[in-house]
Amino acid sequence: MALHTIASQPTQLVHRTTLSNGIVVLVAENPTADIIAARFFLRAGSRWEQPNQAGLSHLISAVLTKGTKTLSSLEIAEQVESVGASLGTDATTDYFLLSLKAVSADFKEMLILAGELLRSPTFPQQELELERRLTLQAIRSQQEQPFTVAYDQLRRSMYGDHPYALSGLGTEATVSQLSQTDLLDYHQTFFRPDNLIISVSGRIQPEVAVSLIESVLGNWQSPDQPLPILKAPPVLANPVSKTTAQETQQSILMLGYLAPAVITPLQSSSISQSYPSPSHPDYATLKLLNIYLGNGLSSRLFVELREKRGLAYEVSAFYTTRLDTAQFVAYMGTAAENTAIGLAGLQSEIDRLGVIPLSSEELQAAKNKMLGQYALGKQTNAQIAQTFGWYETLGLGIEFDQTFQKQIASITTEQAQAVAQRYLTKPYISVVGPAGAVSKLN
Amino acid sequence: MTNVLLKAEPFPASITLLDNGLTVIHQHTPAMPVAAVDVWVKAGSVLETDAWSGMAHFLEHMIFKGTAKIAPGVFDREVEHRGGVTNAATSYDYAHYFIATAAQHLEETLPYLADILLNAAIPDDEFDRERDVVLEELRQSYDNPDCVAFQVLSETVYQRHPYGRPILGDEETLMARSPDEMRAFHRTYYQPENLTVVVVGDVSQDAALSLVDRTFHNFSDRETCPQHSPEAEPPITQIRRRELLMPRIEQARLMMAWLGPGMDSSVQSLDEQLNAAYGLDLLSVLLAEGRTSRLVWELREQRNLVQAISSGFSVQRESGLFTITAWLETDDLARVEAIICDRLSELASVPISEAELSRCKRLLCNDYAFSTETPSQLAGLYGYYSMIVHPEVVCTYPQRVQAIQPEDLQRLAAQYLSPYHYAVTVVKPM
Repeated sequence: MALHTIASQPTQLVHRTTLSNGIVVLVAENPTADIIAARFFLRAGSRWEQPNQAGLSHLISAVLTKGTKTLSSLEIAEQVESVGASLGTDATTDYFLLSLKAVSADFKEMLILAGELLRSPTFPQQELELERRLTLQAIRSQQEQPFTVAYDQLRRSMYGDHPYALSGLGTEATVSQLSQTDLLDYHQTFFRPDNLIISVSGRIQPEVAVSLIESVLGNWQSPDQPLPILKAPPVLANPVSKTTAQETQQSILMLGYLAPAVITPLQSSSISQSYPSPSHPDYATLKLLNIYLGNGLSSRLFVELREKRGLAYEVSAFYTTRLDTAQFVAYMGTAAENTAIGLAGLQSEIDRLGVIPLSSEELQAAKNKMLGQYALGKQTNAQIAQTFGWYETLGLGIEFDQTFQKQIASITTEQAQAVAQRYLTKPYISVVGPAGAVSKLN
Repeated sequence: MTNVLLKAEPFPASITLLDNGLTVIHQHTPAMPVAAVDVWVKAGSVLETDAWSGMAHFLEHMIFKGTAKIAPGVFDREVEHRGGVTNAATSYDYAHYFIATAAQHLEETLPYLADILLNAAIPDDEFDRERDVVLEELRQSYDNPDCVAFQVLSETVYQRHPYGRPILGDEETLMARSPDEMRAFHRTYYQPENLTVVVVGDVSQDAALSLVDRTFHNFSDRETCPQHSPEAEPPITQIRRRELLMPRIEQARLMMAWLGPGMDSSVQSLDEQLNAAYGLDLLSVLLAEGRTSRLVWELREQRNLVQAISSGFSVQRESGLFTITAWLETDDLARVEAIICDRLSELASVPISEAELSRCKRLLCNDYAFSTETPSQLAGLYGYYSMIVHPEVVCTYPQRVQAIQPEDLQRLAAQYLSPYHYAVTVVKPM
């Protein structure tokens, strides 16, 4: 078959403006539909949590929309729902997010509300107790899904004392102890204009968006004290094997490898000094290896373990994009009696990446797949706003959208093999399945 | 509501019936250089006999195993190696197969999709191996408590109709079938009059029609296979209750269901059926979409009786399904069920306010706008409606929603959402 590089997508025009108080505003004008999506990113998230406060970012995301100095929980929800908009919050490992989507005419009203939520939340005690109770239940409910149990086990063994060890929800012990003061302190520390990126995509002119945001948030001032310097514990390599026995139909098998952060760690604590930061030299290559190995119906894992051997329905791989040490994970679900065979199969496909160089056809196919899917993942306004806002927040800058595609296109088979040999060495293993199957592994 | 003159937006796509009976829907969306093709086949699991349960879905897997000319896995490679994505899904009323790609690659990839759909070889050795994959899919669903509970609920609602059977089938029915039987199922239903090919993207109408005409023409010779003989589904005349105990679950589930209108009624006009369906859609939003909705506000926010609660109306061809699902503590099950029943009675007796009605309408209409942004979303929507009713119905949605009046909702609640006649599955931790 004739393989050729996909024509690079046309550069999406994104306007970047920094307001006088430090807010970075990104606007992608997209007149296609009468919709505007906006994403408000704060450089906060579970990575910044102290061990005894694990789950704090999540709890803030749950209570943030439930009261401000002038609005009750009901009034906030009525403002959003009466115009059929959507407004949500989310705390991830590396950033805190407020997302909104509205038809263009309602955007201003939603922006004013978002401004109020970010600036003046009160975290009412009663709402805090409600969301705490629901979070504790959600932590327990994670045990219901075998995949979640296996991934939790893997994450803990890979990350030790680092905050990435835990799901964003925290633990029952830490969430039980979080107080309203903790939430207010966290808000005071991280919710400030010089820590905020607003990314907008939709039917709006950039200058109109910027002036709207200026009018709503322009008079918000950062406190005098600088942003805190993050002191997350280092992630030390210690590959181990963990199993959990439970009487499920399938065993869930995971192999995990420590992998580079998206940016080479800086000596300096401040991102703004070196903006934009280059991505880690091996980041794009590992992304490419990951897509070759585990993404889609033509991936190596899918073809070898599912198509040819019928061992799994779901078999896949992912490489997380993280500010601190990331993970490269391959996983599958398989019948209990195939537990050992499945593990060996996953292992040998990953090992192969370091032993046998990709053919030039395989490499080109993986590049086309990576770049094509990348383009398809930037179609809706929400996807566009997310992509550029995320790059800006991580410190890569909006140019990374283009740089990343160029990096992918230039990877050689030698590079791919060398990177596989460097990182895909000894795996952390996590298995969850029936006692009879997992006990044989030890 | 039934006599309101609807000023529907013009249907933005073209519908063409080819000489062989195949339907092609096309819309040119030049904003981005991408194209989506979604092929919908009236070959869902509703057509299976009980003994062949799981066949439609298993066939969807086997389609990817190629033809005399295309080896297994080649189609996936041809699409993905050009940067496209592909997938497929099977439901009761249809199976559908999907490609999204840069527009320039459509010409090269669509012939592969057409060939595997029309001329599936269903090789014997691949049949056995892929059955193992389907069995893994089945095991994965058995490990998901919400899947298991929903299946039990469906069985309780539909005692005769195939909508009550699992789409995946079960190990017994899957093991009993042969490649020959699957070929017969394929040759019976994968015929032009059952297919709708939807092309949306940066492709002109001429190019799309000519491409589909060229590629979807060589259908397999027709065969026949055992037909499902419909039996009358008894109406729900009481509360049908099932209780399950499950290991490893951390909270209880309450799943309630009511039968709603389908789209193929002989006693109701299509207008009546659609208006009833969208009215029930609106009621599900009123009850449980967003913090200000009645059940979320009362049960989650005010009384702290549930972890979460949701509601939905699924439009199906022969019978719609209205559901309310709550995740909660075992001790609160009876109380929450009673409150829900009471609130449903209230819906029938007390008209809803203009403000609440307006909130629900805007939410539904905006959701519609938010879910028609990309070629893939549009292609999915047109294809789905062409299986269930007719594609042109799609763009009447906002107008029909806007026309709903408080008394319509009272009447629908009284007719469909009885607090005395429903099916309920309760799941408790073991």
